[in-house]
Amino acid sequence: MRISVDHTSIRFGRLEVVTDVSLDVPSGDFVTIVGPSGCGQSTLLNAIAGLLSEADSEVEGGISIDGSSRGTPSRLGYVFQRDTLLPWATLLANVQVGMTIRGIPKPERVRRARDLMKTVGLDEFESYYPHQVSGGMRQRTQLIRSLAYEPEAILMDEPFGALDAQNRMLLQAELLRIWDLRRVTIVFVTHDLAEAIVLGQRVVVMSRRPGRVKRIYEIPLPSPRDPFELRASPQFAQLETRIWGDLRDEFRAGATV
Amino acid sequence: MRRLRVGAQRLAFVAFVLILWEAATGGFGLRPVLDPIIVARPSRAIAELGSYAQSGLLWKDLAATLEAATIGLVLGMVGGVALGLLLGYVRPIAETVEPVLVGLNSLPRIALAPVLIIAFGLGIASKIFLALFTVFFVVFFNTYLGIRSVDPELVRAVRVMGGTRAHLARFVVLPSVFSWIFAALRTSVSFALSGAVVGEFVGSTAGLGYRMTIAAGLLDTNRTYAILLVLMVIAVTLVEIAKRVEDRLLRWRPATALFA
Repeated sequence: MRISVDHTSIRFGRLEVVTDVSLDVPSGDFVTIVGPSGCGQSTLLNAIAGLLSEADSEVEGGISIDGSSRGTPSRLGYVFQRDTLLPWATLLANVQVGMTIRGIPKPERVRRARDLMKTVGLDEFESYYPHQVSGGMRQRTQLIRSLAYEPEAILMDEPFGALDAQNRMLLQAELLRIWDLRRVTIVFVTHDLAEAIVLGQRVVVMSRRPGRVKRIYEIPLPSPRDPFELRASPQFAQLETRIWGDLRDEFRAGATV
Repeated sequence: MRRLRVGAQRLAFVAFVLILWEAATGGFGLRPVLDPIIVARPSRAIAELGSYAQSGLLWKDLAATLEAATIGLVLGMVGGVALGLLLGYVRPIAETVEPVLVGLNSLPRIALAPVLIIAFGLGIASKIFLALFTVFFVVFFNTYLGIRSVDPELVRAVRVMGGTRAHLARFVVLPSVFSWIFAALRTSVSFALSGAVVGEFVGSTAGLGYRMTIAAGLLDTNRTYAILLVLMVIAVTLVEIAKRVEDRLLRWRPATALFA
C-alpha cells in the first residue's frame, strides 16, 4: 500500500500544526518520523488514518492511499502510544477484534491469533486480561492485534514510548523481525532518534511546530537488523551524529518556547 | 487460617451481642433493663419465628415479597437499560428529558408508595411498581453515564480497524455500559427489596411488610423482630448472590478499580 501526502497543511482553528508536508511512502517501506514534541507527527498520522474530526480540524492538500483520496481505514492498522486494548476482553479476544470486524470465521481467527501470540512469546497469556499483564506485554498485544487482520499499512504513534529501555529494544527487534517477514508498509512516529534510525529504511526529520519536513535521510543499514548490535556499530554512530545535527536545532528552539 | 480466625471473631461478637441483649430484656432469669414489650427478647423472637413458619404464613409472605421484589428488579433493570441506551445514543431526546428525569430522581422514591397504591390497588402490582421505580433510576443513570464515559481512545482503536457503529456497540459501548450496570447490581437488589417492603407497609394484603405492620400495630414485638430477622437474612443472601454475579461478570476489572 502506497501512502502519499502531498503539500498537506493541518490547522486546528487558528493553530497551524502541520505545514506543507509532502511525503511518499512506497508499498512495503518502513519510514520513521522523528521530531520534537508538538511538531504535529501524531496529527499527521491521524490525518492519514482518517481519524481527525472534520468539525475541529482543517486539512489542506492531498493525502492519498493507493491513489484514492478517501482512505478505507480498515486496510490500515494503527498502534497507539496509550494502550487501547479492550479491558474486558482477554488478550486472545483482543487480538481477534480486527479479524472479527473483517468477518474472518472463528476457527481461522483463533488459529491466527494464537500463531501471532506465539511469535511474540505471549502464548501462555492468552486467557489473561490486559490489567493482569505488564505494559510491554500489552504493547506486544496491540502490535499483533494490528497485524492480525493483515492491513496493508500500519501507522504507529510512539508505540514504545511508555516502555523502559530494555523492553523498548526487545520490541524493536520483534517489530523488525515481523516486518522482514511480511513487508507491510509502516509509518512509525517517535521522539527517539536512535529508535528512528534502528527501525527505519528512511528517517523523516520534522521541524518544531508548525511541523514541516526538514529533511529525509536514507538509512543504508543492511536488513535484517539487530537493534542491540546496531547501536554499537560505527555506521550507526555516524548516522546518529549527522541527523542529530539537524534535529538539535529543533529541540533547542522548541525548548525556549 | 486467618479467615478461620476472623470468622470465629465475628461469630463470637454476634453471640456476645445476643447474650447481652437477651440478658437486658430479662433473659436468664434476670430483671429486665429494657421492657420486652418494646424491645423483643431474642429467644422469644426466634421461637415466634418457629410458630410463624409452622402456621405456613411465613412462606406465603416470603413468596409475596420476593415475587414483587424480583419482578420489580427485572423490569426496573430492563427499563433502565433501555431508556439509558436510548438517551445515551439520541442526544436530542436526552437534552429534552434530562431535567425531568433528574427531578424525578431527586424525589424520594418511597414517597410514590401512596400514589401507586391508589393507582394499582392493594395487590402485588403496586409493590412491583414501587420496586421497579426505585431500581429503574439507579440503572438508568448508570447506563446513561456508562455511555457518556466510554473511552474515546477505544472508540478510535476500533474505528481504525474498520469498525462500524454496530461493531463499536458490540466491542466498546455495551461492555462499558454493562460494567456500570453490574457495578450497580448490589444497590439495585437491596433497593428492590426495600421498594417491595415499603409498598407492603403502606397498603397490602400479604407479604413480610404487611405482616410486620400488623404485628407492630398489635404491639407483638416478638413477631416484628422475627420478621426483621427474616428480612435481614434475605437481604444478606440476595446481596451476596449479586456480589458473586458481579465478580464473575466483571472479573476483567482490576481489583483496585475505583467503583469496585
